[in-house]
Amino acid sequence: MDRIILVVDDSPTVIKFVSFSLKNKGYKVVTACDGMDAVEKISNMSEKVDLVITDLNMPNLDGYGLIDTLRHNDEFCETPIIILTSEEEEEDKQKGIQVGASSYLVKPFKPALLVNEVEKYLKN
Amino acid sequence: MSEVLNLQDKIKNELLDISGTISEIVDSYKQLHSPLVETQKNVPKATEQLDKIAEQTAAATHRMLDTAELITQREDEVIAGLNIIKEKINNKNYDEVIELCDDLALKASDNNNDAFVIMDALQFQDITSQQIDHAVVLLEELEKKLHRILAVLNGEDNKDLPEVSVSKKRAFDPHADLFTNKTNQHDIDSLFSKK
Repeated sequence: MDRIILVVDDSPTVIKFVSFSLKNKGYKVVTACDGMDAVEKISNMSEKVDLVITDLNMPNLDGYGLIDTLRHNDEFCETPIIILTSEEEEEDKQKGIQVGASSYLVKPFKPALLVNEVEKYLKN
Repeated sequence: MSEVLNLQDKIKNELLDISGTISEIVDSYKQLHSPLVETQKNVPKATEQLDKIAEQTAAATHRMLDTAELITQREDEVIAGLNIIKEKINNKNYDEVIELCDDLALKASDNNNDAFVIMDALQFQDITSQQIDHAVVLLEELEKKLHRILAVLNGEDNKDLPEVSVSKKRAFDPHADLFTNKTNQHDIDSLFSKK
């Protein structure tokens, strides 16, 4: 069965690039344009999301808010969450750790690096 | 004597009036000073962001054009290679055909990698759109300050001013940059593995 990855970003360019990189490796990709959209989609999905990749700066509900929401939900408290952002200050990474992100990638990113990071959690 | 006292009162009233006017001018100056200073700061920041956008758009575009040129060169080589293969098959030079096929497979794989290089460079759109959003927010701030200055100059109360409309809700990283990625992924991974 295909592993499902939820990609959350308000940039359609990033969504396209991330989706292409992951679909090329056989993953099924579901997308959301911000944290609020992601919460809605994830709650209405019949299949289980195996991993979440999220941006930080987004309208309505940002990446930190989304991670916090997912970590307080029994179903998603253990789901790997990768932050993919252009923010590279130490403070942002620390905040990512605090809210419960699994790892952190900085944009612009190399597709191989993203796939590598995803495979750390979804291998086998 | 009463005339002198009358004159004294008049002078006192005039002085009080002048002092009141000076206080009003000082108040207006105070109200003008802060928005003027902020305006002065925002304009160069917005200009800097716009310069960055132009520079990064140009760099990413050049990278994509160079890569597309490499891809088309290889495609020409692949076409030429296929024609040579045809000849070699006719002449039954099968060992050379195998060698040429390996070479063409390598070129196809290089083209595949270069397609990713182009997509990678296209991320400039995300980065520059964040820079544009930052510039727009700075300009919207500037517009608000100018409204405030105009209000003070017209003697209007700040509270009566209509809100400056904001075109859309923006979320962006003000430091987003295509080139200055100072992050080492290994360091980040170590940081996250310690949690």
